[in-house]
Amino acid sequence: MGVTALSVGIDVGGTYTDLVAVDANGCVTTRKIPSTPSDQSEGVAVALQLLGGEPVSRFVHGTTVATNMLLERAGARVALVATAGFTDVLHLARQDRASLYDLSRHHPPPLVARDHTVGACERVVPEGVHIALTDEAIDSVVERVRTLAPDVVAISLLHSYVDATHEQVLATALRIAMPGLEVVLSSEVFPEIREYERTATTVAEAYLRPGVSRYLERLTVRAHSLGVPAPGVMTSGGGMRTVAQAARGAASLALSGPAGGVVGAAAALRAAGFLSALTVDIGGTSADVGLVLDGEPLVEPGGRVAGVPIALPRVLVETVSAGGGSIGWIDDGGALRVGPRSAGAVPGPAAFGRGGTLPTVTDAHVVLGHITASSFSGGVEMDVRAAHHAINDLARGLDADADRVARAMLDIADASVARALRRVSVERGVSPRECVLVPFGGGGPLHACGLADQLSIQTIFVPPHAGVLSALGLAITPERRERMISLLTHASALDRVALSAALTRASAGVADGVEWRRSWTARMRYVGQGHELDVAVHHGEDGAAIAERFAALHQQRNGFTLESRTEVIGIRHVAAGEAHRVSFSRDGLSAWDPERAVDDGRSFEALLAGPAVVTLAGATLRIAVGWTGQPHSTGGWLLTRDGNLP
Amino acid sequence: MTAADTIHPLELSVLAHGVAMIAEEMGAVLVRGALSPNIRERRDASCAVFDAGGRMIAQAAHIPVHLGAMPESVAAVRARRPQPGDVFLLNDPYHGGSHLPDLTLVEAVDMGGVIGGYTAVRAHHADVGGMSPGSMPQGATELVQEGLIVPPIRLVRAGALDEELLAFILANVRTPAERRGDLGAQLAACANGATAWRAFSARLGAARLTAACDALLDYAERRVRARLAPLEGRTGRAEDVLEGDGVTDADIPVRVALAVRNGSLHLDFSGSSPQVAGNVNTPAAVTRAAAVFALRTLLDDDVPTNDGIARAISLVLPARSAVNAAWPAAVAAGNVEMSQRMADTILAAFGDAGVDVAAQGQGTMNNVTFGGAGWTFYETLGGGQGASSKGAAPSGVHVGMSNTLNTPVESLERSTQLRIDRYALRDGSGGAGAHRGGDGVIRAYRATAPCTVTLLTERRRHSPRGVAGGGAGATGRNLLNNTPLPAKCRVVLKAGDVVTIETPGGGGYGPVS
Repeated sequence: MGVTALSVGIDVGGTYTDLVAVDANGCVTTRKIPSTPSDQSEGVAVALQLLGGEPVSRFVHGTTVATNMLLERAGARVALVATAGFTDVLHLARQDRASLYDLSRHHPPPLVARDHTVGACERVVPEGVHIALTDEAIDSVVERVRTLAPDVVAISLLHSYVDATHEQVLATALRIAMPGLEVVLSSEVFPEIREYERTATTVAEAYLRPGVSRYLERLTVRAHSLGVPAPGVMTSGGGMRTVAQAARGAASLALSGPAGGVVGAAAALRAAGFLSALTVDIGGTSADVGLVLDGEPLVEPGGRVAGVPIALPRVLVETVSAGGGSIGWIDDGGALRVGPRSAGAVPGPAAFGRGGTLPTVTDAHVVLGHITASSFSGGVEMDVRAAHHAINDLARGLDADADRVARAMLDIADASVARALRRVSVERGVSPRECVLVPFGGGGPLHACGLADQLSIQTIFVPPHAGVLSALGLAITPERRERMISLLTHASALDRVALSAALTRASAGVADGVEWRRSWTARMRYVGQGHELDVAVHHGEDGAAIAERFAALHQQRNGFTLESRTEVIGIRHVAAGEAHRVSFSRDGLSAWDPERAVDDGRSFEALLAGPAVVTLAGATLRIAVGWTGQPHSTGGWLLTRDGNLP
Repeated sequence: MTAADTIHPLELSVLAHGVAMIAEEMGAVLVRGALSPNIRERRDASCAVFDAGGRMIAQAAHIPVHLGAMPESVAAVRARRPQPGDVFLLNDPYHGGSHLPDLTLVEAVDMGGVIGGYTAVRAHHADVGGMSPGSMPQGATELVQEGLIVPPIRLVRAGALDEELLAFILANVRTPAERRGDLGAQLAACANGATAWRAFSARLGAARLTAACDALLDYAERRVRARLAPLEGRTGRAEDVLEGDGVTDADIPVRVALAVRNGSLHLDFSGSSPQVAGNVNTPAAVTRAAAVFALRTLLDDDVPTNDGIARAISLVLPARSAVNAAWPAAVAAGNVEMSQRMADTILAAFGDAGVDVAAQGQGTMNNVTFGGAGWTFYETLGGGQGASSKGAAPSGVHVGMSNTLNTPVESLERSTQLRIDRYALRDGSGGAGAHRGGDGVIRAYRATAPCTVTLLTERRRHSPRGVAGGGAGATGRNLLNNTPLPAKCRVVLKAGDVVTIETPGGGGYGPVS
């Protein structure tokens, strides 16, 4: 065999750094090592060295750099140019308060201070330009911006999704007056109706761009020194972007963290022949819940990071504060509670032996014997006595024995995650009962049966490489580029020629000259609605055809259709390269040893009736009473409920 | 092991998640299926689950004015001897309702031929008939002017929808197709809740179900009483006013005497105004909602919303008063404005009792309704929140009993014949203090064609008060082409006219240092 160029995905978490390498034949190698929070690249370097110097052709990592900049409000100094009379758009937001009952709570502050907003005397209305931009108005904006001397300027004018001329004229004037100044336009970042969301997304792009650029440059240099190619990064939408592309789409990295896991889960599901699934990734501090429909991760706009709405498309993930480190406690009503406080990675659960003394979900698993290995994966030693001690302390306040308290803690953690799983599905017209549950992450397979019981789910598919699935998603996800244009027209007004012309306009300049898979979606709604659905659209179709498709999707998602006319508010184009081939299989034969109960990744026969515990690579699978598990040919496990539910 | 019919504290969280999930899922089904923006986007709706005895076990509240107000709907339905599988419709404020636009459905959950509980969905409909579009008419003096009155009636009998009854109702509203769609979504939400409640009951078994409901109510009550315990023996009084009832401008007093006694919150509204001619009166259910809201601001967010909270509240409401109205008093505006003032007054009474509460927020929803040829548009505007010991207050937000979203300028200008000239924070309108009150907002609407505007606003004469020496927030202002308009009025506009609403600022906290 010739050179086996590896595609490598590295996912840096709070506790572990996971690495997955996929070779040209699709064979998978995984590594899991403790994270190095002081300098993340150290752990990355160690992980890469574990590959033994095989050549790496592609290296993708999930980055939290944009997310952290938003959380810490550590981005660039941005000036916002908005239509005069509307410069408070970010501070007015959507007028709902941060908490229904805590009257003092503020929304997280906008990324631009009020004294860094500049009003432009101009007005565009839905029909076009209403008050033209004069030279005086342009000069006044330029002078104000010059005085503010920001790192980046964001321009977001009313109705610029209809007519972007004023934004473009102002950008040109600013660039001429201040050469080298970075200027970001709302009509380029997110040309969609609704001024608050468009402005907030545009400002986020401006705020993140310099920092993300610097980070990607550093990473490139470091990658070279490690002998690997310049890294690609995962976007919130679940595609890979090269460093060069990513620097100009900084905001689309803000929700990239949890996307990789859902992408990996979808690939494993397709290999196993499943189409609709609820996914749950349980880690140290939280559980990320997602949805796979028709074999693809559900991608929707409307994410929010640290109080900043980022309206760009993102893989739907809802995060719940329930992970291995979630702490059990007793509230002032005498009830046992779990979370939202977490022991995190440091000091971590008592069982980690790093000085943690508070009882966590992981400690409950240790007390109940669900985690039986002498050490956790990744080389953390397990302190069984400390776990018992912590749970016993809690049990004393509850008039119950430690086992019972530990079981109750797991039930409570499951109940809060099940609630989120139900929410993401029911809100989209999907019945959880008709889904397969796909648990992954270090803790997912431990909780799968409990969650499935609460959701009346019949089948659990534990994907291969469940402990490192996010890294696997990074390794295989195709490179992807996207562009959207605003349209705002009735669907009935679009004949084949007009619709085809719109698709061509949407794909202009996107991955030109490359043989990639191209797809388009129309953002559609009934006239008068405030929310859109994304409907697939192809060259050669007309507005009537997509209106029909929209009605069918509306029926499926919302349970009804209307007689009203439909309108298209924009077209989104996606160009995607080939996904990296991956082989989900069990290679070689082995025999099942019921005493050790370790899945070595090879093929073996076993039929395990719960209760049973199986050690997987980087995760532990618990089969509860009422469930039967067997190894799946993809390398995962299939669990089925004994007998049907009422 | 636990005895069959007792609930251990270890089980409470799972049970609480379980019932909350039922109410939450009903909300998801409702919002998904509803047609009108008021339900779909502004979420002016609530869902709740009740046990067989009519006790509320969980409520998913999007909007505080529905808090704890639905048990009266279920009580009104139970008085009509429902059969398993029946679904009742009601909006009569004097028989389980709040104000007429709030249509409430109550399903008697069929559990093997007996009623095993109730599911209820309340939603604010964009129109239920009456003398003006939107069914919140300016100047109404009788309930019958405000829209179609529906006492609890069987819309679904033993699982079968009464199409004749539905046709009768739809014949009396301005937008029947939208109403039919929204009612369909409410029916679907009730049915979904009933299915989930049956599954929840089946998992527990009959004996444990009763014990679980008891335990959940006791748990919420314990958490409320744990918060009230340090306040035992405190008393306080407060008085505030509404600025006219839409018929006259005379101030309408609201008075509250508060006492924390034997672990309960006692609120006595004696001395509040007798019921008034205009429609700012409220039925007792809305007053109860204001009381639950005010108490909830003192509790942790995670206290479950069930009847256990109400057990710790005792109300004295004078008969035929503006806060406990009797037929045939009009009530449409009371739901949106009197509810705010009652919440303000109760919180002020807590302050008088030495409890650390925030200064008053804007205390109004600033209801603005435009209507032109072929279009109507309704929205409410945020303003200043009151500052507290914790810090300066948020600006430009909904306070008190509402929390709905604004309408994007770009959406508004595409669906109406209005242009927005300005939408900004109203600088300096928040009360001065060691911690400043939040600022109100300014929104200027320019008519591009003839139309009418109806304003239902408050705090135009009396400022939101500061606390602990903090200054008052600025009163709001309504202007037509820079000439002041009354707080409550209906005005005909010609093309080019500009109506400007300046919403009140919140009160400040503490003296300026």
